[in-house]
Amino acid sequence: MKTLFSSYRVWAYLAFAIVILALPLIGDEFWLNRVAKYLCYGMLGAAVALTWGYAGILNLGQGLFFGIGAYAMAMSLKLKSYTSMQQGSETPVPDFMLWNAEPGAPTDLCCITPGSWLWIPFQSQWVGLIVAVVLPAVFAYIMGRIIFGQRISGVFVSIITLALVLLTRLIVTDAQPLTNGFNGLTDLGWFTVFGVELDPYSKVTYMVVAVALIIVLALTRLLVATRAGTILQATRDSDTRALYLGYDVPAYQSFFFAVSAGISGLAGMLYVIVAEFASPSFLELSFSVTMVVWAAVGGRGSILGACIGAILINMLEARVSETESLVEAWKLIIGFVFVIVVIYLPKGLSGLAHDLMSKLQSAPKLSPVQKEEAHQ
Amino acid sequence: MSAVALELDGLAVDFSGFRAVDGVSMAVAHGELRVLLGANGAGKTTLMDLISGKTKSTEGRVYVHGRDVTNQREHKIARAGVGRKFQIPSVFSGLTVRQNLEVAQSGQPGVFANLKMRLDTEAQERLDETLDLIGLTEEAETEAGVLSHGQTQWLELGMLMIQNASVILLDEPTAGMTAGETAKTAEIINRLKGKHTLLVVEHDMAFVRDIAERITVLHLGKVLAEGNVAFIENHPDVKAAYLGKQGIS
Ligand SMILES: Nc1ncnc2c1ncn2[C@@H]1O[C@H](COP(=O)(O)OP(=O)(O)OP(=O)(O)O)[C@@H](O)[C@H]1O
Ligand SMILES: [Mg+2]
Repeated sequence: MKTLFSSYRVWAYLAFAIVILALPLIGDEFWLNRVAKYLCYGMLGAAVALTWGYAGILNLGQGLFFGIGAYAMAMSLKLKSYTSMQQGSETPVPDFMLWNAEPGAPTDLCCITPGSWLWIPFQSQWVGLIVAVVLPAVFAYIMGRIIFGQRISGVFVSIITLALVLLTRLIVTDAQPLTNGFNGLTDLGWFTVFGVELDPYSKVTYMVVAVALIIVLALTRLLVATRAGTILQATRDSDTRALYLGYDVPAYQSFFFAVSAGISGLAGMLYVIVAEFASPSFLELSFSVTMVVWAAVGGRGSILGACIGAILINMLEARVSETESLVEAWKLIIGFVFVIVVIYLPKGLSGLAHDLMSKLQSAPKLSPVQKEEAHQ
Repeated sequence: MSAVALELDGLAVDFSGFRAVDGVSMAVAHGELRVLLGANGAGKTTLMDLISGKTKSTEGRVYVHGRDVTNQREHKIARAGVGRKFQIPSVFSGLTVRQNLEVAQSGQPGVFANLKMRLDTEAQERLDETLDLIGLTEEAETEAGVLSHGQTQWLELGMLMIQNASVILLDEPTAGMTAGETAKTAEIINRLKGKHTLLVVEHDMAFVRDIAERITVLHLGKVLAEGNVAFIENHPDVKAAYLGKQGIS
């Protein structure tokens, strides 16, 4: 424990937790709603760092897992929405299904549109919540077993994940009667915990997201500090060496890939609670690439770094977009920042902070005389 | 102590017509150090690939302590007790020296068995001993990527020790080393003898004399001769195989 707290890293995590928990003291609900979205992105950044930084797997389709989480929760919340109860049936039916229904189809989830029965379990918000986390994890695990089991690595994994997210986007936009296509799921109800409705524009909801993020960060950090985490990093450096030590490398990669997917799903789910919509734009390539930029800038080697990177970039983007003339330039600016970071700061901002802290920590070891000399 | 640790029976691989290893049979006793000699391209590395599962053989069998491991997947063969050092040293460059050794301690290789924070005290002590043995105690917290060539090789030897592999395959462990580094490597390898069974590919005859008891000579994928150092050095076929020049230098 002593060594634990002597590390500045622990203090960094504590400081981060305190700051985000204290924000409700200084901001109003509208601002907090916006920050809560950024916290979801922060969670996503941490998920990217887990696979990219620790496992060396650059997933260019992380949005797939975020999207699954978002849609799962949005389905539940759509059924809780006021309008879903107004379609002339005993049980909730989403409004768009009625618009897409064949003439004469019964107004019931069982058969109003082809496949609408898939929505039935989502009448319970808890199903939505569990599916949002478990489905991405299970899907990623199976995907990982197949991809990594074939000893596919590097850029090929990126290409496969990229293709998968685009394919899914195609399916989602195409399945209009089931997903409302391009329009996504809007006009959602609120998630309810112990009788408390999570109004997106409330401090309670903000706190739920903030606490979830803190727990996820802490658990993920602990996870990579386990022996399994070290072994994962070993597979990143040399998968053959790890194989010849007797490790089933694809099992490790798939496990952490699944954890990262589960975290992304959770982020997507929370995002929907805060933003009140799910849309196929989550499955666009640009969104998945943006996550990679967050992690690169924040530092993919650090769970917290990537998380903070995501939050900072989004805050900056919000600032910039307030100035009309800068909106257009933003993509250029962020692209430029990315290139600069990749070339000059491969470990991102957290790497920079790490170097600074190492210098500071070793500094007191110098005697006053040596310090004098160092200054000259 | 005469139990056979590693047995090859008619092992061969056919690379679409080219037989890089062509019917090799040999038995290495428990605790023995066997040197593999052979000119460039004789099939030494390929033989190690076949034993460790990197390359699938097309004929013959491999037994480790009597257990048939022929053509199993790499990590399965490793779990059966085969450890390997490649011709090009490979360690986990982003991890510290200590972490490298921690990872090498692969007694429980499963993901869930490793969701714990640290090694037990006994394992920790073994790790410190190994650090001492390979002379890297000072560098324990150094990133392996910045070690010198010699240090990297020793770290890899240390990883094999701590892996507790009963059969260790070493491919040219002194390649690119200075005389001083080579001497230290010989010392480390001699310590492994007896406890572990070793199969070592080596060109440096001075080094071979330092460590070897028995030598097996490979030529064009086949066993050309087998015997002690003096026998091999005076073997006419071996001299011929080394291009009839000055024999093995
Ligand atoms: N996968 C492969 N496909 C085709 N040929 C191969 C393959 N692997 C090795 N060879 C060939 O097999 C022969 C033996 O190679 P090997 O690497 O085993 O030799 P070596 O005895 O280790 O030589 P060196 O002393 O140079 O390391 C070489 O001619 C090589 O080109
Ligand atoms: Mg070779």
